[in-house]
Amino acid sequence: MRPFAYDRPDTAAAAVAAVADRPDAAFLGGGTNLVDHLRLGIADPGLLVDVTSLTSTEIVDIDGGLRIGAGVTNADLAADPRVRARLPVLAAALLSGASGQLRNMATTGGNPLQRTRCPYFQDPASACNKRVPGSGCAAIGGATRNHAILGASEHCIATHPSDMAVALAALDTQVRILGPDGGRTLAFTDLHRLPGDTPEQDTELAHGELITAIDVSYPRGRHAYRKVRDRASYAFALVSVAAVLDVVDGTVLDARIALGGVAHTPWRAVRAEDTLRGGPATEEAFAAAAEAELADARPQPGFDGGNAFKIPLARRTLTATLRQTTPRETA
Amino acid sequence: MTSTETRMAGRLGDSPLRPDGTLKVTGEFAYSSDLWHDDMVWGVTLRSPHPSARIRAIDLTDALRVPGVSAILTAKDVPGENAVGLEHLDTPALADGVVRYQGEPVALVAADHPETARRAAARIVVDYEVLPAVTDPRTALDPDTPWVHADHDNLVRDLRIRRGDPSPTAPVVVSLDFEVGMQDQAFLGPESGLAVPDGEGGVDLYVATQWLHVDQGQVCRVLGLPPEQVRLTLAGVGGAFGGREDLSMHVHACLLALHTGKPVKMSYARDESFFGHVHRHPAWLRYEFGARETGELVYAKADILFDGGAYASSTPAVVGNGGTLGLGPYRIPNVHVDARGVYTNNPTCGAMRGFGCVQAAFAHEALMDELADRIGMDRVEIRALNGMVEGDLTITGQVVDSAAPVAELIRTVRDLPLPAEPAGERDIRELPGGASNTTHGEGVRRGIGYAVTYKNVGFSEGFDDYSTARVRLEVVGGEPVATVHTAAAEVGQGLITIEQQICRTELGVEQVVVHPKDTTVGSGGSTSASRQTYVTGGAVKAACEAVRASVLRRASEALGRAELRLDGEKIVAAGGEVVASLAEVLTDPVEETVEWRHRPTYPIDPETGQGNAHVQYAFSAHRAVVDVDVELGLVKVVALDTAQDVGRALNPDAVVGQIQGGSAQGMGLALMEEIVVQDGIVKNPSFTDYLIPTILDMPPMQVKVLEYADPHAPYGVRGVGEPPTISSGPAVAAAIRAATGKPLRRVPVRPEHITF
Ligand SMILES: Cc1cc2nc3c(=O)[nH]c(=O)nc-3n(C[C@H](O)[C@H](O)[C@H](O)COP(=O)(O)OP(=O)(O)OC[C@H]3O[C@@H](n4cnc5c(N)ncnc54)[C@H](O)[C@@H]3O)c2cc1C
Ligand code: SF4
Repeated sequence: MRPFAYDRPDTAAAAVAAVADRPDAAFLGGGTNLVDHLRLGIADPGLLVDVTSLTSTEIVDIDGGLRIGAGVTNADLAADPRVRARLPVLAAALLSGASGQLRNMATTGGNPLQRTRCPYFQDPASACNKRVPGSGCAAIGGATRNHAILGASEHCIATHPSDMAVALAALDTQVRILGPDGGRTLAFTDLHRLPGDTPEQDTELAHGELITAIDVSYPRGRHAYRKVRDRASYAFALVSVAAVLDVVDGTVLDARIALGGVAHTPWRAVRAEDTLRGGPATEEAFAAAAEAELADARPQPGFDGGNAFKIPLARRTLTATLRQTTPRETA
Repeated sequence: MTSTETRMAGRLGDSPLRPDGTLKVTGEFAYSSDLWHDDMVWGVTLRSPHPSARIRAIDLTDALRVPGVSAILTAKDVPGENAVGLEHLDTPALADGVVRYQGEPVALVAADHPETARRAAARIVVDYEVLPAVTDPRTALDPDTPWVHADHDNLVRDLRIRRGDPSPTAPVVVSLDFEVGMQDQAFLGPESGLAVPDGEGGVDLYVATQWLHVDQGQVCRVLGLPPEQVRLTLAGVGGAFGGREDLSMHVHACLLALHTGKPVKMSYARDESFFGHVHRHPAWLRYEFGARETGELVYAKADILFDGGAYASSTPAVVGNGGTLGLGPYRIPNVHVDARGVYTNNPTCGAMRGFGCVQAAFAHEALMDELADRIGMDRVEIRALNGMVEGDLTITGQVVDSAAPVAELIRTVRDLPLPAEPAGERDIRELPGGASNTTHGEGVRRGIGYAVTYKNVGFSEGFDDYSTARVRLEVVGGEPVATVHTAAAEVGQGLITIEQQICRTELGVEQVVVHPKDTTVGSGGSTSASRQTYVTGGAVKAACEAVRASVLRRASEALGRAELRLDGEKIVAAGGEVVASLAEVLTDPVEETVEWRHRPTYPIDPETGQGNAHVQYAFSAHRAVVDVDVELGLVKVVALDTAQDVGRALNPDAVVGQIQGGSAQGMGLALMEEIVVQDGIVKNPSFTDYLIPTILDMPPMQVKVLEYADPHAPYGVRGVGEPPTISSGPAVAAAIRAATGKPLRRVPVRPEHITF
C-alpha cells in the first residue's frame, strides 16, 4: 500500500472538483471494497476523497417512490419501513449481502460500484485486463465457477458481485450523478457495462462523476429475491434473481426481472420479461421465460470444473422465483 | 437439614469455569497478536510469488533507503543451520537460492511501523528464474517429473501393510475412488509473537504455538544458540488444530531481534496466514472391499496418495496414520494397503485435527455404505457386524486392549431421536439456503447418513512420547496453594482447567495456580494427537502423587506417626483421626517434577506394516440428517448427532465442547472448506473466499458420551479432540448421497456436484 492523501471537502461539488482534478484520486464511501483493494495492492489512489458525509444520508419521498442519498448505509436502507413495505425485493437483496458489520459501513453509492470478486483480478500477480488493460485474462480456463455465463467477452469473463444492484436493476431506478460539468441522470440499467474489449471500465461513469442519490419507483406486483450461494450466510451469490411480477387474474401485466452472479452487469432479464408480459402466469410460461433468457448463455470451462452448472442453476432459480412472485391461487 | 456432603468444586468429573473463558467471551483475553513492548519494532516477511523458482539475486538497495527500516535479512544472515522441520530438516528458515512453494519466506524486514516494513519489503528486488512447478501429486513420482528437492526424489514416505492372504477373493466385491480437497485449520488468531533480545546474545520468544520445546530446538539450530539462550513462553493462542505445529514467525522474529537488538513483533495478516502454516493434505484414495454375502469383510485394499507439498512437515506421520488406521475400525483378516506422501510445489501440508484419518474415513465409510447396499444389508448393522471389539486385531496385528464399542456407538446414534419430519410452513432458516430464501420446502429431500471411525491417541510408531509436570505445594497467607507448571500448550481446548482439576483431586487443595507455559520446565509434548489430557494429565497426576508422598513423609517425621493420608486439607491417621492440617505441615514448600511416559509404541515392519504402532484408540460415530434442495444443490444439515467413547469425562463440558467443535470442522470439509490451488497458486487466501461454517450452517447436536475407562490410561481417559472431526464429515456426505442418489466421490460437495 503506498501513501495516499485523505480529504473530506465541505460540499459535493468540491469533492467532484478534487477528484476530477487528479487522475489518481478516488471517492471513498464506506471503504469496505476500496480499502480492501488498497491492502491487496490492486488499487493505489494518491488521494481519497471521503464522500460519506457530503452525499445525503437521507431517504426522502418523491413522487411514486424514494430518493436514496448515496451516503445511506446498506443497513439503514434495508431497515427503512418504506423500503420494507414497498420495495421488499431491495430489502431482501440488501439483507442477503455481506454481514451486519459490513452493511453498517457500506453505502448506497459504493455498493453498486464495488468491483468484481474475480480471484485473478484480486491477485496482482495474475494477468487481468480489467486491472491492467492488455495484460490478458487469467480467469479463462482457470477457476471459473464464479464467472459469467452471459455477456462475457474474450477479454473478460468477470461477474458483478452486488446483490443490491440486482434488485435495483429489476426496479425502475435512476442514478443521480454530479460531474465536473454539472448534474445528469442515468437509468440504473445503463450504469454498468458489458466487458467487450474495455473491461477496465466497469460503468459509464466518467472519472470524477459522483453518485449523489438513487431514485427508485414503487412497482406494482409481488417481489422476491433469491440467492444461491455456497454457505447459508456471508457468501457471494453463485446465482441470484430479483423479480417483481404483477399478475392479475392469471395474466402477467408486468414483469421486472434481473439476475446476479451471471454477468459483468447486474443482468436485466429483458427477454424473460418480454416472454412473460401479457401472457399467463403458468409453469410453462416461466420455463419459457427462463429458456429465452438463457438461450445465449455460454459456460466457461475451468480447471475447477467450470461453471456450466450455472446455466441450469440460473434457469431453476429464475423459475422458482417467478413461481414465488405469483399469487398461489393462479400458479 | 439433611446432611450434605461438602465437597470442593472443580475436581475431576466437574466442569468448573475456565480461567480464560470469561476473558475470551468479553474480548479481553490477550492473544499473541496483542503482545506489546514499548521499544519494539515490527517484522514482516517477503514471500515468494512463485511456486518454483531459482533466486538469482536479491537487491536490497531501495528497501534499505526507506526511513524507519532497521534491518533486512536474507538466508545469508542466518547464523546457524538454515534448516527446520518437524520430521525432516528440509525446510529453510529463509529461502536459499531456490523457492519451492508460493509464499515461501525469502527476506525479513524490521521497521518502526508495520506499514513501513511492508513498504520496504515491496522494494526488495528479487531476481527469480521461474522453474517448472510440480503441481500434480498423481504424477509426482513419474520418472520424468522433476525433483522438488535436488537431493531427494519426490517420495516422502511409502507405507505398506500386508496381512493375511496376498490374493484374497470374496463373493461380493465393491470398490471406489475418492478425492478429498485441501482443508485449512482456519484458526482465527493469526501467527504472531514477540521476540525480546536479552542483551547477552540470547532471546526470549513469546509465541502462540502447540509445542514449545520442539520450536525451541528448531530456533536454536537456526540461531546457532544453546537452549539456555533461547527461552520460549506461550502467548495467548487463538486456535491451532495442527496448524501451529510447524514454525511460522518464530525464527524470523528472533533473527530480527538479535540483529537489531530490539524487541520485534510479528503478526501475520489474514491472507498471509494462509501461507504461514501447513494445511490438511488433499488425498486421492482407491479402495476395494471383499465380503461374504452375509456382510463380513474378507479383505480390504487401499491405495492412498497424500499431496505433501513443498516440504515434509509431518507428512511421514500422516502417511503412517492414513495407512495404519485407513481402513476404519473394522475387523479385516486380509489387508493390502499402500499409502504414499509426495513432494510437490503445492502449499506444504502437515498436521490437522484428525491427521490422516479424516481423508481415509471419507473413502472407507462411503464404501461401507456401498457394500451394505450391494448385499441388501442395513447400513448401521453392517458396521456393527464388522466393527472392532476389545481383543480384536487391528490391520497392523496389534491387539485392541481396551474398549472398542463400535457396534454400541453406531447403534446409539441410530437410536437417538430423529428431528421432526418437515411439515407445514417452515422457518426458512431451517431449510437449504437458509435466509437466502431459495426454497420454502419444494424440491427438498431428506437423507440420513452414518459413519463410524477411530483415531490413535498420542504419538505413535516408537516415538518417545512424554510430558513433564512440576507441582509445588506451599502455604500462602495461611492457605495451602498448589502451583502446576507444564510446558503443554493451552490452545483453547481447556488443558489449564484439567491441570487444576487434577491438582485439586490429588492434593485436596482448592487454590491451584497454573504457571505460565514456558521452557523453564521440561517438554510437555505437542498439543496434538488428542494427547494432552492423557499425557500431560498423566504427568500432573504423577507429580501430585510425588508431592503427596513427600508431604506425608514430612508429616510422619514431624508427628512421629505412620500410615497417614491426605483428606482434603487435613492429614488423617489410619483410624480417621485428624492429626494436623496441611498448612501446619507445610512449613516449607514441597516441589516435585516428574517426566511421564505412556506405554511404548513400536515402529511397524517396513515390508508388512505389522507392529504395535499405537498406544490407544478412540472411537466415535455420527448420524447426519440433511435436507437437500436437489434443484439448486444446496444442503442444510438438520441434525448431526454423535456418540463417542471418551474413557472418562474428566470435564464433561469440555468434552462436549470438543465434540461440537470437531463435528463442525468435519462438516465444513464435507460441505464447503477447500483451499483452491491452481498451478501451485492459492486462489482463495481469505475468509471471504475460503468458507467455513457459521452458526447458521451448524445444527443443534445430540451428544452421547460413553465412558469405558481405559485401564492403561491415567484415570481411564481416552483422547477426545479428534474423533468427531473424522466421523462427522463422512456422515454428512453419506446423508447427501442418501438424499440425492448421487455417488459424490469428492469433498467438499458443492452445488454443482448435486445438481448435475
Ligand atoms: C467479506 C465481504 C463479504 C461481502 N459480501 C457481499 C455480498 O454477499 N453481497 C454483496 O452485494 N456485497 C458483498 N460485499 C461487498 C460490499 O457490499 C461492498 O464492499 C460495499 O457495498 C461497498 O460499499 P462502500 O460504501 O463500502 O464502497 P467503497 O469501498 O467505499 O467504494 C467502492 C467503489 O465505489 C466508489 N464510490 C463510493 N461511493 C461513491 C459515490 N457516491 N459516487 C461515485 N463513486 C463512489 C469508490 O471510489 C470505489 O471505487 C462483501 C464485502 C466483503 C468485504
Ligand atoms: S475475468 Fe476479467 S477480472 Fe477476471 S482476470 Fe479476466 S479480465 Fe480480469
